[in-house]
Amino acid sequence: MQRRTFIQSLAAVGALGFLPSGVSRALAQEAQALSVEQLPALEGNLTLYLGRGEGGLYENVLDAIRKRNPKLNLQIRRGATAALTNTIVAEAKAGVRRADLFWAVDSGAIGLITDEGLARELPTDLTAQLKTGFQYPRWTPVTGRIRTLPFNTEKLSKEQIPDSIMALADSKLSIGWAPAYAAFQSFVTAMRLLEGEKATADWLRGVSRHAKTYAGELGVVMGVERGEVDLGLANHYYTLRLKSGKPDARLDLAFTRNDAGCLVNASGVLALSEGDLPINFIRYLLTKEVQSYLSSEAYEIPMVSGLSPPEGLPLLSSLSPPKVDLRQLADLRPTLSLMRKVGVL
Amino acid sequence: MSRWPRSYLPALLIALLALAPIGVLFALASDSLALFDSHNLRVLTNTLLLLVLTMLGATLIGVPLALLTAYVQLPWPRLWLILLAAPLALPSYIGAFTLYAAFGPGGEIENLLGLPTPTMDGLWGAALVMSLYTYPFVMMTTRASLLSLDASLVNAARTLGMSLIACLWWVVLPRVFTGIAAGALLAALYALSDFGTPAIMQLDTFTRVIFVEYNAFGLGQAAMLSLQLMVIVGLVLFMESRVKGSTERPGRQLTLWPARWQTSLMLLSAMPVVLLAIVLPLTIFFAWLIREGTGGFEWQFAWNSAHASLLAALVAVILAVPVALAAIAGPFGRLLERITYLGFGVPGIVMGTALVYLGLQLPFLYQTLALLVLAYVMRFLPLAVGTVRSTAERLDPSMVKAARLLGASPAEAFRRITLPLTMRGMVAGAALVFLEAMRELPATLMLGPTGFETLATYLWRVYEAGYFGRAAVPGLLLILISAVGLALMLSGERRAEFALTEDHRR
Repeated sequence: MQRRTFIQSLAAVGALGFLPSGVSRALAQEAQALSVEQLPALEGNLTLYLGRGEGGLYENVLDAIRKRNPKLNLQIRRGATAALTNTIVAEAKAGVRRADLFWAVDSGAIGLITDEGLARELPTDLTAQLKTGFQYPRWTPVTGRIRTLPFNTEKLSKEQIPDSIMALADSKLSIGWAPAYAAFQSFVTAMRLLEGEKATADWLRGVSRHAKTYAGELGVVMGVERGEVDLGLANHYYTLRLKSGKPDARLDLAFTRNDAGCLVNASGVLALSEGDLPINFIRYLLTKEVQSYLSSEAYEIPMVSGLSPPEGLPLLSSLSPPKVDLRQLADLRPTLSLMRKVGVL
Repeated sequence: MSRWPRSYLPALLIALLALAPIGVLFALASDSLALFDSHNLRVLTNTLLLLVLTMLGATLIGVPLALLTAYVQLPWPRLWLILLAAPLALPSYIGAFTLYAAFGPGGEIENLLGLPTPTMDGLWGAALVMSLYTYPFVMMTTRASLLSLDASLVNAARTLGMSLIACLWWVVLPRVFTGIAAGALLAALYALSDFGTPAIMQLDTFTRVIFVEYNAFGLGQAAMLSLQLMVIVGLVLFMESRVKGSTERPGRQLTLWPARWQTSLMLLSAMPVVLLAIVLPLTIFFAWLIREGTGGFEWQFAWNSAHASLLAALVAVILAVPVALAAIAGPFGRLLERITYLGFGVPGIVMGTALVYLGLQLPFLYQTLALLVLAYVMRFLPLAVGTVRSTAERLDPSMVKAARLLGASPAEAFRRITLPLTMRGMVAGAALVFLEAMRELPATLMLGPTGFETLATYLWRVYEAGYFGRAAVPGLLLILISAVGLALMLSGERRAEFALTEDHRR
């Protein structure tokens, strides 16, 4: 076994010389995904604000970290990402800091906190582990997700779905959405940045006329599969998870082109208090083990360089996500007031 | 006498404490931007529609069942009465959760039996759930009125040739109108303040929208909506206080002896209610338990629930004693008691909003168990006050006087006479507070300390994440707790309501 791996690595090294430099750099970075074995043990009290458990899988990661580090006293406060973000900001204003770490499922929320200057700077050897384009000084992405259009395969074929998100407003399709959901709000923020306030308001109004509201995006995808609506707006992994549990599900994924409809977003973590403990905790989230677990079980896209995306998702290179600086998604307030004004929130 | 009774000062302080949340809301709402907009109008419409439909539904189910349990000679009458009153003890979010999961394409009924059923959500879903869990209010109040009626009027009408149905409609029901109205208003109050059911049924009522605003930390907006909700609550409470009890002279009550098949038919037609409100939640939870086991559940959740609720029960009873004594002592005391009743009208979500803000101003309280317990106490204090007062009222004042005459100080008389004799009421009151706090959802969600998961909040988290199967254990435990609550009601102060005839109610 060892001998085979060795030969493979040798072969890889031999091949490197012939590859374009970008690819060879990507391959070289493979070494950077650390294993939990290489990390220091965690000790002491740590309070983590967790932006919704995503149904047990983040919990499993946290449980595993707890089990590995018996001297770590990890307290977790769970809530919607937006709620916890606002809580952290309100706490900072009132002079009561309770959280050491914040793991948000949405990078817009994170921008809000880094803008307030509440997040600590991270060491460069930590941020260097991330894929290029996803390295930030004050927070680090953990996993990625992409906005998709899950559709019912009995009611629609891929050709019937417009490849522009803006065209959905005038279509005849019935649409499932979850406006109260943080990922949806980030998507609306991206649309606001790309298309402008007025176009976004018109789009929201247009879609709301033939939309059914769900509490969360798993609900949206389940609704699409049941045939309650033709098409949904949801993060990619809900569809992949549902299909893995129910292979004959009447469900498939469609992608728009180069607009907010296929925005790539990331869950991320940031440190709010001083000391090594929060930083070392973040290192655990970026290990090979955690990243591949979240990829294979939760169908999220790993963010540490050198790890491959989950099964069932087209290669990122075949998609055309819009060019949006994730930090700009922090501008959530105008989005919320816009959604309220239109009456979808 | 110019000297105030001793109980007034602590009662005054407690009453001021009960007013605090309203004050906080006013302070918060003052920096809210929009007073009222179109979205708000929709929320108001939804809330009022739910209110009206719930009152209607509860009346349509509750009144026939009241007639059935009051007048018809049933086999095992007490069993039927308890069974039909049982939904009162269950928190409606349990029903909303299971009905939502059971119905619709891909729901549990289709999974288990292969029967397609319509989706249960929105206004109609919420109204159905609300009606199913509030009709016992109407049933109990109407039944009490029915039992106090004299049968001779009915007998006279019958001898004059009126049919039994017409008789019930024209002679009986008009005389129990106040009973029906009182029950329907209680149902309305419940529908207004409940958070879980509209949230699960995805109906934008005040409680749900307040939670959305809180999640966006739009505390000002949440406070403004809370105050609007409180205005409606105030109106319903006012109407409820205007409903007068019946003044009819009691007589022998009506008894009907229908044929066996008629009795069976009547009981059979009551079955859908029992099936939907009790059997369905139990079945769904057991199905999930068998299918998915106890994964994710920790006994710590149950212990957290019990721990916080026990503290709340203890504090509530300690605070209830001076309030109850003040209420007996004089008119000003009664006013103070009325003020503490405000808390019961304050929906949990509103109490949560107010106390989160309070906590941010007073960091030593923020995210502590103390703040959560305070919320429970303020909400459920009236339950304790009610039971303590009703036992204390029955206390013969000459006993205390005799003790004083024999040389006991007021403190000693209280400790050796009043306290032991009101102990029963205190225990009953504490138990009621305990059980209510165990099932409380919205305030617990907002105020619980970090890492403090209770049965109710875990159930909510499981619902939000879509991992319904994990609701089995907490759901069944909450039903069990509710059953204990019902048993307690049956044996305690409210036993009279479950008496089979008026004669036993003395």
